[in-house]
Amino acid sequence: MSPRAIRWTIIAGVLVLWEVLPRAGLVPVLFLPPLTTTLSVAVTEWRSYGAALAVTLSQVMVALLFAVGGGILVGAIVGGVARMRQVLLPVFSSLYAVPLVVLYPVFTAWFGIGSEAKIAFASVYGFFPTMLSTAAGIQTIDPNLMLTARSMGATPVQRLFRVILPAAIPTVLAGLRLGGALVIIGVVVAEMLISSAGIGYLITSSRTVLNSPHVFAGVLLVLLIAIGFDLAMRLLEKRCAAWSGAGRARPGASDVRPAEA
Amino acid sequence: MNHAAVLAGRAVLAAALLGIWEALPRLGIADPELLPPFTVAAATALEMFARPSLRADLWVTTLELLAAVAIALPAGTLLGLLLAESERLARIFDPLIFFLFSIPKSIFLPMFILTMGIGFWQKVAFGVFSTVFIVLMSAAAAVRSVRPDHVFVARAFGASPVQIAWRVYLPSMLPILLEGLRLAVIFGFTAVLLAEMYASRTGMGHQIASWGENFMMDRLFAGVLLLSVIAIVVNETIRAVEARCGHWRQ
Amino acid sequence: MSQTLAPDAAAAAADAAPIVSVTGLGHVYPSREGPVHALADISLEVGQGKFVVIVGPSGCGKSSLLMMLAGLRHQSEGAILCDGRPMSDPDPDRVGVVFQEANLFPWLTAIENVAFPLALRKVPRAERQARAAAMLELVGLADARGRYPHELSGGMKQRVSIARGLVQNPKVLLMDEPFAALDEQTRMAMGEELLRIWSETGKTVVFVTHSLTEAVYLADEVLVMSARPGRIIDRVAVPLPRPRTYAMMASPVFGALRERIWQQIRASAR
Repeated sequence: MSPRAIRWTIIAGVLVLWEVLPRAGLVPVLFLPPLTTTLSVAVTEWRSYGAALAVTLSQVMVALLFAVGGGILVGAIVGGVARMRQVLLPVFSSLYAVPLVVLYPVFTAWFGIGSEAKIAFASVYGFFPTMLSTAAGIQTIDPNLMLTARSMGATPVQRLFRVILPAAIPTVLAGLRLGGALVIIGVVVAEMLISSAGIGYLITSSRTVLNSPHVFAGVLLVLLIAIGFDLAMRLLEKRCAAWSGAGRARPGASDVRPAEA
Repeated sequence: MNHAAVLAGRAVLAAALLGIWEALPRLGIADPELLPPFTVAAATALEMFARPSLRADLWVTTLELLAAVAIALPAGTLLGLLLAESERLARIFDPLIFFLFSIPKSIFLPMFILTMGIGFWQKVAFGVFSTVFIVLMSAAAAVRSVRPDHVFVARAFGASPVQIAWRVYLPSMLPILLEGLRLAVIFGFTAVLLAEMYASRTGMGHQIASWGENFMMDRLFAGVLLLSVIAIVVNETIRAVEARCGHWRQ
Repeated sequence: MSQTLAPDAAAAAADAAPIVSVTGLGHVYPSREGPVHALADISLEVGQGKFVVIVGPSGCGKSSLLMMLAGLRHQSEGAILCDGRPMSDPDPDRVGVVFQEANLFPWLTAIENVAFPLALRKVPRAERQARAAAMLELVGLADARGRYPHELSGGMKQRVSIARGLVQNPKVLLMDEPFAALDEQTRMAMGEELLRIWSETGKTVVFVTHSLTEAVYLADEVLVMSARPGRIIDRVAVPLPRPRTYAMMASPVFGALRERIWQQIRASAR
């Protein structure tokens, strides 16, 4: 059997077990509702899930603007200006260790439990990694390319638009992918903690009444959105960076930075 | 810029930020009820730290984190080594592992509560789940970072397998393994705190959440300050060790 | 493209008026251990259509000198005239530059890289394409126009880089160790290729290298620089006939010239 076939067999096996184990009573349905039950909840309850998703996604959009826009902007400045880089970059990567999740109670105290707190939290949550990865990417632009452009008499504006920005596109897209994933999860986590609407709220309120199928359906939906976003961004990155060589190598040490914890 | 100027720049920046935090409520620009001045938050943090009840909460959180790392570290390293050493296993599992590595973990928290309740081990389990993939990927990357030429050279000089493991593999892998440990600790900390904030009766996360709900802003800010300082100190400590072990890397 | 093919007569006639002239150039830069005298008292003239090679020990400032000729760096004293006017800023109409690394923009195809300097000058698209295509043809890469740099070999990248240096039809082509990163065989082939391009276009070339064989093989005149502060300690005219062939490398004249340059560099580096 090829590795690929084995892999799909394993995946199929997991899905079958997901269905069979609870049905056979080997695992309580509370712990693991059967796959078909979960899916049928998502289908029959599409109205309430759809409405909750609409709330969540609209806030994701706004937070994305703040987190990714701000992250790329600040990252470009910090990465591009030598002095800023020397002074600030180590500080920012130290701050990266702070568990930002403890800020959410601050935001709810300030803004109430509506959309503002969620957006503020998700923006902060997505900002740092986006900024750090953008700064790192801008830093790696080959200075020889700038020298070459200068030798051709390129003006500073031309250098920005024709050298720095094109060279930064892969970085910016990677930042958008990373930041976007964090923003999605930031909004959902905030909704799970304290809120009054959205898919995370739906999951938590189903959990408190021990309605497992509803919890699993909600989690599945959020996963699908996160994965879908990731795939779409990867596709975009691939298309925009046809020049950067044969795709990305297998994740190395420097890539070991998960989308979230 | 020389080192002194860089440090001075950072000191000025830190002083400016803390100064703004202090000034905004003091000058009445921000409501002190919502944003207690820095000095008040810091004083509250010190005062709380002296209290046994807070230390108990801090201890619970620390234990959960330590237990999670103590499980995730050997398990993840072992799986990572297996994956890096066996071409066949890698071909089968690499895409699956990478997928599991990249999906968000927090969203699974409600499932942990459904199956394990809200006790100590539920938080540990969630912590393990949140960090084991980071350790696994680091361990695999660490093995793959060992250059075959170095192994050849060692073998050419007659090194035994044990000597190769000890003198070539370990020094090559150590910096990346430590990086994995560092990431596991900071992400494990977030995971444990989130689990405590979500549903718990003890721990720092639980306290932070309830201070927020009850608008006890002095304590809330003191807690945030305390946890931030702890996280930064732990992170920098591991990083310092990392730098010592990896000084030969560029 | 007729103007790029300078008639031999013009090249011969211009010997009187040099296209590049440097007088009393010196360069001092500050460092932690006090001021460093990098270049001193450099004067040189390059006649129209000539191939001049600068050699010298590592760190003698030969690349710095070239960067100054390109207007990318400023000397502390002395004057550089190119085509009768001072060279204070990069001016691609007068001077094209080819670097050691090809420095191609990885997000542009071969032809887009060659057309890049024209795009900076807002040359209309159709003309840009035509001129870039002609240059790629000149360097023998007409078939590779749509390829990205990562799809090109080291030698091909350097050809694209030469085409890019020539596309604005500058009077002078400056080359900073352009083949140093290539392997020996590619390097030899590129030297031959460069001589062909040079004879077809009639450009003036100033070429920096640390390979003495390459210097003698390519040059009309070799300028030998001393260790820091870099001065010109010898000017060696190469009387070998054109077109040059590999066989000439085995000739006694070639060996004697190479030996003379080597002794100069060795003595100055002591």
